[in-house]
Amino acid sequence: MNEAPGAGLKAWWSRWFGDTLFRRIFLLMWSALVASHLLAFTVTRQVHAPPGEAPPGGAPLPVLPSLPPMGAPPARPSEAPGGGPPPGLPPADGPGNPGAPGDGGMPAQALWLDYAVRFVAIGVAAWFGARWLSTPMRQLADAAEGLGHAIGDGRPAPLLDVQRGTLEVRQTAQVFNTMTQRLRAQFDAQSLLMAAISHDLRTPLARLRMRLETMDEQPQTPRCVADVREMDALIGSVLGMMRDSRAPLERERVDVSALAQSLVDDLVEQDQPASMATEAPTAIVLAQPAALQRLLGNLIGNALRYGGSASVSVAVQAHEVRVLVDDHGPGIPVAQLEAVFQPFYRVESSRSQATGGTGLGLYIARDLAQRHGGRLTLANRAEGGLRAELVLPRA
Amino acid sequence: MTHALLVDDDVELRTLVADYLQRYGMRVTALATGAELRRTLSGGAATDTFDVLLLDLMLPDANGLDLCRWVHNTSSLPIIMLTAQGDPGSRIVGLELGADDYLPKPFEPRELVARISAVLRRAGPGRGAAAGAPLSGPPTRVGFKGWVFDRLSRELRSPQNVIVALSSAEFRLLAAFVDHPRRVLNRERLLDLSRAPGVDITDRAMDLAVSRLRQKLGDSPRESGLIRTVRGEGYAFDADVKAVS
Repeated sequence: MNEAPGAGLKAWWSRWFGDTLFRRIFLLMWSALVASHLLAFTVTRQVHAPPGEAPPGGAPLPVLPSLPPMGAPPARPSEAPGGGPPPGLPPADGPGNPGAPGDGGMPAQALWLDYAVRFVAIGVAAWFGARWLSTPMRQLADAAEGLGHAIGDGRPAPLLDVQRGTLEVRQTAQVFNTMTQRLRAQFDAQSLLMAAISHDLRTPLARLRMRLETMDEQPQTPRCVADVREMDALIGSVLGMMRDSRAPLERERVDVSALAQSLVDDLVEQDQPASMATEAPTAIVLAQPAALQRLLGNLIGNALRYGGSASVSVAVQAHEVRVLVDDHGPGIPVAQLEAVFQPFYRVESSRSQATGGTGLGLYIARDLAQRHGGRLTLANRAEGGLRAELVLPRA
Repeated sequence: MTHALLVDDDVELRTLVADYLQRYGMRVTALATGAELRRTLSGGAATDTFDVLLLDLMLPDANGLDLCRWVHNTSSLPIIMLTAQGDPGSRIVGLELGADDYLPKPFEPRELVARISAVLRRAGPGRGAAAGAPLSGPPTRVGFKGWVFDRLSRELRSPQNVIVALSSAEFRLLAAFVDHPRRVLNRERLLDLSRAPGVDITDRAMDLAVSRLRQKLGDSPRESGLIRTVRGEGYAFDADVKAVS
């Protein structure tokens, strides 16, 4: 409580006298206007000083030049009958016409000089003043942009200088820095979590796997081994997903046909019922090779797991590359065709079977497809079975 | 008797692996930290006592990759990395730093034994010649006729800079070909060179892999391009292979 008045006073002080945006704008406008007035006055006086103006009674108060002499409109019509040109136009205010003698003004030329000087003075002041005001904001904007890039690349984000700029900008910079540090902490926490998941879940799994091997073989042992594999696959998917969401995609030109063919050939080598349509055309897309491989691998793996077989075909169109993965399984109820893209969602029939999926495959696949500027849809085929259709922009 | 040096921070896993490997007639010395490893190996003569190092990459006191580099530079002990990270990036980095093989946790116990035997076979009896020698064996990145083949990242890049994925069979076949350029390899030799643990390759499978590889390399079956059929003998790889950095 004792500090409250002091803090209030300090806030009040810095509000009105500190380097605030308010003060900058106030100072800028005020000084620019005053300076332009004074400058214009001085220059006009220097150039058009009326000789012998000083009356014997002493120097009269100088008449500060003011805005165009609109203040004496009644005098004008009488001087320029017939609605002549408005005041200030050169023909009307030639050198021969020394202005209206009675209104204490100045000759027209002087008036123009006066305008010009103010025009230039205010322009120059506005130019430097605007820069003075906007520089801190620009730095803030640059830093915010840098933060976005830094997060995208997984680099530490830049911190702002909180000692410079106006009070508002300094406060914003402080808030910005706090936010950056929190984001960084969150990313560090995520890395820590990833390390923890990898190490702290996989080490016990490795122990379990070793124990199963050293134990006497029991009827349940192969199932336990399968469980270990399934958990490991799930951990792998989650880690892969976290990595994908952080790492920027470094794209290269990849032949989708060759990739699909190699995945199918590897499965065939393991006696899996996968096949690829013959004569696949060269289909080049811009993609991150490992991500594209995971995407196709997920689709083919799903077809094998839930559909009993996988036949892959690749077609090249004008602007797109279309990959179809067909199976001969039961398909998916139409109402659930979109829902299966949600993480950990499973069609009820697959949940009861020991299919060994992680529930993340399609979610990851669609995410990767979208990150590559493509789309992934599922449809039941008329002749039975499910079709996954992946469309990617052609490189 | 094979003497394996095992470094892992998990005490139970150490015991389990040691027990398991002993069944296969190996002696196992188990260490918990990177510091212990450095102490054990900096004895100099200690290098001769061990045949293979099983190194966990996630140790509490040391970066496994740094340790891997250190061991590779100071001794010729073959290294098998064990890691729970399991991302392709760390695998490639580890192999580049001089590890001989990589096994993600949780591993199949038999797989571990198979990898140890494979590494020992590759290291051969003449091991221990020059410490800090470059990676034994052929260069990891080679180029031929505008193509670049990277063995570590298992990547084939066309002259048009397109990544052409290879199946495991095609990869092993191409690796065998670039290791023996301009030489006729008969079927038995090719089967032997492209053998992988746990996979039986039939003649038909190999012919299929050869034709696929030709297709991917842009060879047409008629004119002999990169892979030439030598009637009645086998295949020959008709290109000069150069190491690429």
